[in-house]
Amino acid sequence: MLWILPLALAAPVTAALCLAFGGSRARARIAIGGAALVLALALRLAWRVLSGGPIVAANGWLAADALSALLACIIGGVGLASAWYGNSYMAHEGQGHESAGWAAGRYEALFHLLLGSLVVAAVANNLGLLWVAIEASTLGSALLVGYYRRPGAVEAAWKYLILCSVGITLALLATVLLYYSAVGSFGESGAGLQWTALRDVAPRLEPRFVRLAFLFALVGYGTKAGLAPMHTWLPDAHSQAPTPVSALLSAALLATALVALLRFHALAVRCVGPAYSEGLLVFFGLASMAVAVPFMVIQGDYKRLLAYSSVEHTGLVTLAVGLGSPLALLGGMFHLVNHALAKTLAFLVGGSLGGGIGSRRMDHWSGVIESSAPLGALFVVAGVALAGLPPTALFLSEWLVMLGGLRAGKQAAVIVALLALAVVFVALAFHWTRMALGKPRAPFTDPLPASSHRPLWLLATAVILLGVWLPGPMRALMEQAARVIKP
Amino acid sequence: MNFPIAEWLPTSSAINLLAGVFLLSALYALSQRRTAACIAGYAWNSISLGGIALLVAAQTHARHIWFAAALVLAVKGFLIPRLLRRTLARLKTRAEAEPFLSIPASSLIGGALVALAFSQTRELFGAGTTILAACLPISVATALVGLLLMVTRPQALMMVVGLVLLENAIFLAAVSLTYGMPLVVEMGVLLDILVGVALLGLFVGRIEESFESADISRLTSLKG
Repeated sequence: MLWILPLALAAPVTAALCLAFGGSRARARIAIGGAALVLALALRLAWRVLSGGPIVAANGWLAADALSALLACIIGGVGLASAWYGNSYMAHEGQGHESAGWAAGRYEALFHLLLGSLVVAAVANNLGLLWVAIEASTLGSALLVGYYRRPGAVEAAWKYLILCSVGITLALLATVLLYYSAVGSFGESGAGLQWTALRDVAPRLEPRFVRLAFLFALVGYGTKAGLAPMHTWLPDAHSQAPTPVSALLSAALLATALVALLRFHALAVRCVGPAYSEGLLVFFGLASMAVAVPFMVIQGDYKRLLAYSSVEHTGLVTLAVGLGSPLALLGGMFHLVNHALAKTLAFLVGGSLGGGIGSRRMDHWSGVIESSAPLGALFVVAGVALAGLPPTALFLSEWLVMLGGLRAGKQAAVIVALLALAVVFVALAFHWTRMALGKPRAPFTDPLPASSHRPLWLLATAVILLGVWLPGPMRALMEQAARVIKP
Repeated sequence: MNFPIAEWLPTSSAINLLAGVFLLSALYALSQRRTAACIAGYAWNSISLGGIALLVAAQTHARHIWFAAALVLAVKGFLIPRLLRRTLARLKTRAEAEPFLSIPASSLIGGALVALAFSQTRELFGAGTTILAACLPISVATALVGLLLMVTRPQALMMVVGLVLLENAIFLAAVSLTYGMPLVVEMGVLLDILVGVALLGLFVGRIEESFESADISRLTSLKG
């Protein structure tokens, strides 16, 4: 109780303060401080869950187990890095001719509202509240996606709103079906929507409706998580949004929607056995990887490349959960963390580079290393990480997933996934060597102050450090999260 | 707290009648060319949904269902149609584009979808055990009609009408399966839907501003 409620409230309160102090210089400090507070509370919650086991709070509306604590830490980390970097980035963007001309504090308020809805979704125990929080995150981010005054941004925001609204409506049906499947166990009381209560009686739920509920949740929350073939909104929304928002969408929002789906998966596993939902997850995971890969090869726009890479990595985590062995699940959880770190880094460093070069087209980028040594180094780390190469942590997590798949005896899926990863590696190696090496076309000046590099260095250090050393508590948290999904 | 009319009418026939209005109003929206007429169809759809919820409340004597039914009537029957009409009134282009599929053809497909929904829902759920068994096939049929409306019309605003029809259908499913969800959840869902429609209305205006037409067929700038 002590730690969940302040965590859920920290970001919305920050949003209100950002609006209230819109004109003053304290706004930036409030925005960054609020994000830091979310991360600190999330870490404290994770520590509490590790030492004292899962907790239920607020009359069963909120709860924290290892999975929600891990997700809250991811959201907090990505939120802090994006808010920190966004402070200098949005100040610079606000002067551009395409800027929305929003009232001071409105961007920060919407950013924290989005962050808050993600955190609430992470710690929601009531499936109805989970739905409300995820829908709220769509609404909060749609305005941010449409921030720029250009037709592309309007189109992206429209597609995002419509597709995710239809998806989320189907997820509401999934929630209703699950509630109905529990009527036999709880009667008409509200307990039938609590995830912890449903988990405890899962074997006695009506299997037909649990299967149907999982299917609707897969399509519904899967749309929001960017699983193919429901991913079509994702490259548009993630590439048209302002860069710090792109990072939050790609690294935190996709993970939150995926975990919402995994909550339904966890119930289906306990009710009808693992075969049904795991088979579907393997299929959609592989489909997402297979669909994203060709678009990464031919891509010309840096942010769209990163967006398709998000589809690929989300697909990999989905695949990992579908493979189902403890090792694959551990790898999947680890990959969720690593992808968040690497993708945030890639988006944010791209924001500085794109601003300095004046274009997001990758054929305009060359000689990044020579242009700016620190940005070049960060850029290379991001590329190496996204390609899944050692010594970054993504190599380790991808390797764990593949090994886990072999242990589970699902060789065919592992082979397809390895093929996709190989093509991704070639595509990223091609794009990155062309952009990083060579001579810059024009003299480059970093549009942002050097202090904007600090969150990027932290992310890069984390992504390399986790590749060589995994702290004990973090490993324990991820193992417990894996057992939340599949006992 | 019983409702006098509920005692006077045989309630289940009243619910069946309202469920009929629910489906017919959705089909009416599908068969109309003008956006304003479709919004009227949606308003009737919502009012019949609210009526069903009120009758369920009268039968079960549950206070939270009374409250939820009143909220459904206020938000879906009144506020959302009003928002949609205001968005429509703000649009500058008056001429309405031809649908992708002609009106008679989409009406025919709509009829086929209704038949499909009735046959398949019976298969899945059997002859229902709840007092509202008849509502479930109707809710599935309306969901399909809403989706059909979304994909056959070029106007951005019509997509919104299709979406809110789909949401109504899910609400009817919730009412008929479980007598609705806990009140706090229901309030949150309604708030989200209301804000969502307001935002979609805002973006319909912005689409017209950016693309000189409120048709989604122009939205093709983002590819690959």
